[in-house]
Amino acid sequence: MTACVLYLRFALLAALDGRAELLGVPVALAPDPGGRQVVGEVSAAAETFGIAAGMRVGEALARCPELRLVPPDPEGMRSAWGRVLDRLGGIGAECESDRAGVAYFQVGGLRGLHGGRAEGVLAAARRVVGRAARLGCGPSRFASYAAALQARPRPRRRGGTGAPRGRPAIGGRPAIAADGSIVVPDAAVGAFLAPLPVTLLRTRPELAELPEVLERLGIRTLGELAALPAPAMAERFGHPGLLALDLARGRDTPLEPRRPPEPVGERIDLPEAASGPQLERALELLLARVLARRERRGRTVRALGMSARFVEGGTWRTRVTLRQPSAESDRIRTALVTRLAELPAPAESLGLEVEAFGPPAHDQGRLLGDSPAMVRRRRIADAVGQARQAAGAEAALRVLEIDPGSRLPERRAVLAPFEAGDADGSGR
Amino acid sequence: MSVRRLGAPRPAHVRAREDGRPLAIGDARVEATPEEWVVEDRWWTGRSLRRRYFELILEGGRNVVVFRDLGGGDWFEQRS
Repeated sequence: MTACVLYLRFALLAALDGRAELLGVPVALAPDPGGRQVVGEVSAAAETFGIAAGMRVGEALARCPELRLVPPDPEGMRSAWGRVLDRLGGIGAECESDRAGVAYFQVGGLRGLHGGRAEGVLAAARRVVGRAARLGCGPSRFASYAAALQARPRPRRRGGTGAPRGRPAIGGRPAIAADGSIVVPDAAVGAFLAPLPVTLLRTRPELAELPEVLERLGIRTLGELAALPAPAMAERFGHPGLLALDLARGRDTPLEPRRPPEPVGERIDLPEAASGPQLERALELLLARVLARRERRGRTVRALGMSARFVEGGTWRTRVTLRQPSAESDRIRTALVTRLAELPAPAESLGLEVEAFGPPAHDQGRLLGDSPAMVRRRRIADAVGQARQAAGAEAALRVLEIDPGSRLPERRAVLAPFEAGDADGSGR
Repeated sequence: MSVRRLGAPRPAHVRAREDGRPLAIGDARVEATPEEWVVEDRWWTGRSLRRRYFELILEGGRNVVVFRDLGGGDWFEQRS
């Protein structure tokens, strides 16, 4: 069984930073500094005016002139979510979490620690995540998410007679705990998912486009989808179709819990709104501090998060993944400096945090230096490898001239795979 | 990973005048025909090839090259 912890509007909650009472009024996340002029997550009160995340600011304000815009706080959101994951780790949960606000963990191994039943594990999770979270449990990741989405947090009963309200799992029906969390047993997953809309599949990024097509074909619920034959789905939609079918039938890919990153970071306050060379000096200093941290234990750095807090409020964060893990200050600095230019407003502080370590640094200098052509060839081969990793085998091709003088255009050239040896330093 | 031919002819919907010169490609009217030429190739094999090419400027300024396969009579667009 898989459990899901879901906070709706987590980014908005993090940006409100304790001013939760604002959720009762029309409020929305302001656009990212320097980004598209659209609102982010919106409060329920704002939704009643027809405002939705992704709507242009002008349109949102036209629909509700009283709408309050709150600057996003990615840094605060990240640390708040990190604290939630830490607390879940405290009850023994190994979490998979690709975005702030949603986490999954396996219940099976934790039952022994929390009373032997899934409900006991959810109760333990409830104690550490608070009442704002929605909790669901099901035989798959997708089913647990659907359960959490349906769960309605119930306020703590005051002056009650003691017995918690709830409904046990009877006759294959989902169990509803006293706190509102939902447990869907194996036998009930088909019936539980069947009436839910196919739009729920959008929670999986790889299936984002599928629900619209399914709806055009008249398939509106997961039950209708689950009844379709697998060969037909595979023929019409390929792998995404089969995945959607699996999800609708209560199956899913295995969880991939990730180890939380070790917090190795440094922050520096900038005395005045710094820019240009001053920011670069500050970054150099931060990098030297991070690389000198004992927790690094001689390892290289693979990915870093660079963040800033703005003078006028709000924060900014960007992730930089190095092409090759490195512990060389100059190389890392070169990769980071270009991102400084993306800072959209004057910053009052700059932070740098290691998000992923690489293998221990054991770079050994070459006895003889490489020629510029060899260096160039190696770099191009690296870049081609990276591009193919990201965009598939056909990401790097080259034009190979076959008969450039032919009077028939289709005989002049072909597209062929790019090989590292093609970068011969001749400037092609 | 396969090798892909560049500049392969693509079928085109061409309306032509009686003298064989294109009037329109799809919905786009032909504004001018700066050049035309004929290619005859492979005549020494059993699969000879004869094409009448036209370089055209369409309304809106797009520049395209089309040809008529003088064997089968079909029209194609081709990047020259």
